[in-house]
Amino acid sequence: MGGDRCGKGLRVLVVEDEVLIALELECLLDDLGHTTIGVAASSREAIALGQADPPDVALVDVHLVDGPTGVEVGRTLSADPRTTVVFMTANAKRVPDDYAGAFGIIAKPYTERVVASVLHYLCERRAGRTGDRPGPELSLDGFNLAPRARA
Amino acid sequence: MKIENDAHASDFPLDGNVLLGAFASSPTPMALVDARQPDQPIVWVNDAFTQQTGYGRHEVVGRNCRMLQGPDSDRAEVARIRAAIAAGQPCEVELFNYRKDGTRFWNAMTINPVRNAEGVVTHFYSAQADMTEKQRLEQAMRNANDELERLVDLRTADLSAALEQKTALLHEVDHRVKNNLQVISSLILLKARRTPEGEARDALQGIAERVGALSTAHRMLYSAGDATRFNLQDFAADLLSDLNAGLDPERTHLEGAFDPIAVSAAMAAPLALMIHELTTNALRHAFPGDRAGRVTIEARRQAEALHITIGDDGVGLGSAAPNPAGFGRSLVEMVVRQLRGAIAWHENAPGTRVEIRIPLGSED
Repeated sequence: MGGDRCGKGLRVLVVEDEVLIALELECLLDDLGHTTIGVAASSREAIALGQADPPDVALVDVHLVDGPTGVEVGRTLSADPRTTVVFMTANAKRVPDDYAGAFGIIAKPYTERVVASVLHYLCERRAGRTGDRPGPELSLDGFNLAPRARA
Repeated sequence: MKIENDAHASDFPLDGNVLLGAFASSPTPMALVDARQPDQPIVWVNDAFTQQTGYGRHEVVGRNCRMLQGPDSDRAEVARIRAAIAAGQPCEVELFNYRKDGTRFWNAMTINPVRNAEGVVTHFYSAQADMTEKQRLEQAMRNANDELERLVDLRTADLSAALEQKTALLHEVDHRVKNNLQVISSLILLKARRTPEGEARDALQGIAERVGALSTAHRMLYSAGDATRFNLQDFAADLLSDLNAGLDPERTHLEGAFDPIAVSAAMAAPLALMIHELTTNALRHAFPGDRAGRVTIEARRQAEALHITIGDDGVGLGSAAPNPAGFGRSLVEMVVRQLRGAIAWHENAPGTRVEIRIPLGSED
């Protein structure tokens, strides 16, 4: 899966309060050729980290140490055009209809393939090697594209 | 009581006084109105009528029947009486009338024209019944129905609240299960990453894949509308594209043909585990070295049973490297037993073919 790396990869902020999930996600991102620039477990931390050094992509869980505050984190971070937010949650119903500005939702429990495909697409898009609207490569079980990102 | 022209009392061998006596002492309130006098006054009433209305005989004779009407008498019913009388037609009405003391009662009346030998209407005959008690019972019945309705609404609201609570709880549990599956999967993969390459790491990765299959089944179970059914076709499509993504397309290929089969939720995890195991087993063992080949997996529904066939054109059971642990195979056999099914392993020449039959309950 790490086979077709996309340039230098993406700079990713992981917003996740389960340490084990965060740690394993970091390893996976590394395998896929991306760089984890930080891990945040609370909304305050996440927003501080994301605003101090805007990442290419923020992978945001909805339930954080301080409650279901991930939605607000997503909304705040996606206000910066440099950052694309992708929710990663076992509770997609918590995400509002407008996806709070996010690109999509990766459902937990996720497969590595879904994480890899979504990040690969975003990486290619940043490099200008793909259209603005994702095609069938993102029609994956376990991934929901935000309505405004659809073709 | 309708008196036709050809049915005059004189046709019967009766003295007119007998008939009058019978009417006078009848418990049914009766009145006779003269149709030909101005304002059609009452000319005769029986005792039951005076008892019903509280008026004495002399207080009513010579007056029009409208004397019994009052503020609550239905205008439409009154108009019906007037129209029937003007047309010389019989009619039945039910309305509030008033007694002498001002109290009201439900009066059900049948009014019939009485004709003479020439067919001219000479009188109207009215028989009445006090329906107050019947109306009271009907009202009581309506009140009782309203009360029942209210109680049913109340109970329905209780049930809706309970259902809402149950749904919220289900979502909460679902969320926790998914999260825990993710933690378990991450835990195993983390340990695998820190384990030197070799048997132990392979085993950990194998377990992580199995947890992944269970996770996919669980994710599909609760993301669809009906949490009690599991769509095998969707699961297989996801599993196959997942596995195909890890294959060298030049060398091995995985194909599936699944009928749209929905099974009960309880079967989701064992079926997911079994299909995952058989498929990965075939991919792992059928093509040693650089051997190329194809794995096909089919699921059909026939006569209340699920038939799953997994075939490959690899080296076959006999030639495969001996696998003392044989965990995959015994896992499959355990799951088949759990689902009360049957499994048969065949040499396919070339390759292996596994046939499984799982009974589906009649509700499936």
